[in-house]
Amino acid sequence: MFYYICLRRRCRSGSRGEALGSRRAVELGQRAALPVTVEVEQYAKEVLDFSSHYGSENSMSYTMWNLAGVPNVYPSSGDFTQTAVFRTYGRWWEQCASATAPFRRTPRSFHSRDYLELAFEEPVYPTAVEVLETYHPGAIVRILACSLNPFSQNLPVDIRWEVLWADEPTKAPSPHARQFSPTIRPINFSTNLLRLEVNSSVLEYYTEMDAVILRGVRERPILALYKMPIIDMSDLSDSEEELSESGALCCRPAARHNLGNGYFDKLPYELIQLIVSHLTVPDLCRLAQTCKLLQQHCYDPLQYVQLSLQPYWPRLGDAALAHLQPRCTLLQRINMSWTGNRGAVTTTGFCSFIRACGTSLVCLKLSCCHFLNEASLEVVAQTCAGLRELDLSSCDRLHPQAFSHIAKLARLHRLVLYRTKIEQTAMLSILTFCTELRHLNLGSCVMLEDYDVVVSMLSVRCRGLLSLDLWRCRNVSERGVAELVAGCSLLEELDLGWCSSLHSSTGCFQLLARGLPRLRKLFLTANRTVCDADLEQLSASCPGLEHLDILGTRMVSPAALRKLLRSCPRLRLLDVSFCSQIDTRTMQELTSLYPAISIKKSFTQ
Amino acid sequence: MLSVLSYGRIVARAVLGGLSQTDGRDYSLVTASCGFGKDFRKGILKKGMCYGDDACFIARHRSADVLGVADGVGGWRDYGVDPSQFSATLMRTCERLVREARFTPTSPVGILTSAYYELLQNKVPLLGSSTACIVVLDRRSHRIHTCNLGDSGFLVVRGGEVVHRSDEQQHYFNTPFQLSIAPPGVEGAVLSDSPEMADSSSFDIQLGDIILTATDGLFDNMPDYMILQELKKLKNSNYDSIQQTARSIAEQAHNLAYDPNYMSPFAQFACDNGLNVRGGKPDDITVLLSIVAEYTD
Repeated sequence: MFYYICLRRRCRSGSRGEALGSRRAVELGQRAALPVTVEVEQYAKEVLDFSSHYGSENSMSYTMWNLAGVPNVYPSSGDFTQTAVFRTYGRWWEQCASATAPFRRTPRSFHSRDYLELAFEEPVYPTAVEVLETYHPGAIVRILACSLNPFSQNLPVDIRWEVLWADEPTKAPSPHARQFSPTIRPINFSTNLLRLEVNSSVLEYYTEMDAVILRGVRERPILALYKMPIIDMSDLSDSEEELSESGALCCRPAARHNLGNGYFDKLPYELIQLIVSHLTVPDLCRLAQTCKLLQQHCYDPLQYVQLSLQPYWPRLGDAALAHLQPRCTLLQRINMSWTGNRGAVTTTGFCSFIRACGTSLVCLKLSCCHFLNEASLEVVAQTCAGLRELDLSSCDRLHPQAFSHIAKLARLHRLVLYRTKIEQTAMLSILTFCTELRHLNLGSCVMLEDYDVVVSMLSVRCRGLLSLDLWRCRNVSERGVAELVAGCSLLEELDLGWCSSLHSSTGCFQLLARGLPRLRKLFLTANRTVCDADLEQLSASCPGLEHLDILGTRMVSPAALRKLLRSCPRLRLLDVSFCSQIDTRTMQELTSLYPAISIKKSFTQ
Repeated sequence: MLSVLSYGRIVARAVLGGLSQTDGRDYSLVTASCGFGKDFRKGILKKGMCYGDDACFIARHRSADVLGVADGVGGWRDYGVDPSQFSATLMRTCERLVREARFTPTSPVGILTSAYYELLQNKVPLLGSSTACIVVLDRRSHRIHTCNLGDSGFLVVRGGEVVHRSDEQQHYFNTPFQLSIAPPGVEGAVLSDSPEMADSSSFDIQLGDIILTATDGLFDNMPDYMILQELKKLKNSNYDSIQQTARSIAEQAHNLAYDPNYMSPFAQFACDNGLNVRGGKPDDITVLLSIVAEYTD
């Protein structure tokens, strides 16, 4: 009877069954003398990689490195410096004109926008992963485990990533701290490398995390108690075979029963192409195996004009790239962000792919691609003469010398260099030749020595600039701002967050407002000098303002804010966190008067 | 003429002295803290390790023991700014830097500079100013590295005598060097010294040395001989006895501060400069008392 109850319990408990089961086994099998499994609990030892963070590159405030070690803040809730915070939240950045168009064929199950990778001390078979979130929880959408031990010297040939848990982005009911402990799938290898993928698009403010706990057992759980995972159609472990299947796969006959194929082949070519264009890339590869006709359709280069490989980052390697090569001759937009790390893609493989498929490339996204080096950028520059969009954000291991090749891409419209190590000379060289730049992101580019010179060059050469991100650009001054206003008068978006060298007393913000009437987004985050006079000038000169961030100034009064809200009917986002004159009462009053505006007021307690 | 015994003693001392320099043991600081806020709130820890507008921290790292004091400048109260916020945040940030190994033991100025930079990275607009004194013991090399900005400071006592002390840094009377973050617009009117202006020093240390780190509330009320008298009562490197001694020093300073007839060092200095004053100086008092001992995990 007891045994029966235990069996039933085991079935119902699902993926936790392994842990519960082992305990049950101990209870049951005192006579059977099963080994007692000890559960090991570990905090993260080191943060290895991440796609973005809010804080400064050499700081411990709001940076991803805070996720290592024991929690500092939990269970308190609030906006604390000792937590890990990503760069963006909500949908605000997607709604800007500077946002890049989404890629078609993104699988519906892929929601990730940012990621971080954590290494733990000891590899274990995971039984639970707990994330201590301290502010606006709910962003985590996927947890993966890797078979590689990042601290071991040798790099194994096959590195497997398994999804422990995945779900859609959800919003927790309150912005307060919580311990997030989803039910994870059991896996059959021990791991000390976890990856968390997040999407905070439904959240009201920046999500913040304090620590991650990995619970697991040292010994491999007994197979009998181990529940096999359900094969998921979008399971990545299948897709590699499909992607790497070459044309040598023989087709199967159309129908053994000779029922015909329902006149499918009578449809016009374009119509079948249209139908097939709705499939995701793995499904496209699977469909290609069904018959010769569909193989012809699925391998048609017209299906590969836009290609997003980011959702398949764990499986993308040189072999897959080589097999995609023949189909990608008409490639125009490709997203390879997050792919190829830890040796999966080599520069040779990447270069040969670009040489073969890059001639008509218009958009190339290589965010967090740590396999890139100078040679690969050189090949990109040589081959993709018509490139309009290049995203190299968080490629922080890329040698500064590599960026000089970007200057050859004279048709560039959009360039993202967030968190790269680009240096002054390469930057000036790019600005000299890439005169068609419309969107430029230089956030957290710490190796640029003199931002005034950079901005000055920008204002002379790139007069069509629409958006400029100078987040945390430490030494841009009022001289730079003056030249920017004079030269790039079409500017619609300007991010000067945490630029502490700008002082309102020089009149730079008022000059900015007067000189940029088309301004839609202005971030003056943590500039303690923003005052009423600046807001009044914005009210007078920038009626199209949609996003405004004036976090952390003591000099802005409720009256000036009211005037701004009256004058800017298109305002949708207003961040007045830590503005000491704007109290909660004013906040509530303004929120009720202007329901269309999201007014953000963060708190620490 | 030296007797055999005295000669033998000299040789032994030389040999032992030589031995102790090649001593492979790691050292550590056993530290206790005590203090009193100015407004008679005896030793109530507001946020932990805060006494009035003073703040302090004690941090351990595998390679070093670090401690520090900061004296928040009270004048900010007149402008509606809580002076204890700056000093407390500065000290907590220093502690965090040490715990997370973001420092070099040979450069306490580096700790101060990083901590000040981190204060500026806070979303919350902090205001205020404070002095700072940081003492780092490098376990392996048996050296103490210090930096001092302002009128807090430290004493190193060996064999009942002061062998090292810090110097006060003052701009003018009762205006020490200070780290500060001022509201925009008044930056010109507010004293703001950079961390690089701190005095640094490094020296060797021996087992049994006593290090007293304190804010000016102690040094302005208790002259050296009184402090040395209290330290004589310290017999072993037990934490409890250190705590007891620290407490007695702080208490004595606190009592003297409110004695109107006592000629305190502060009053003495004022008289030397032409001001006819007498009595103690009521101020926040923070005392960190450390003994150099062997490192045990």
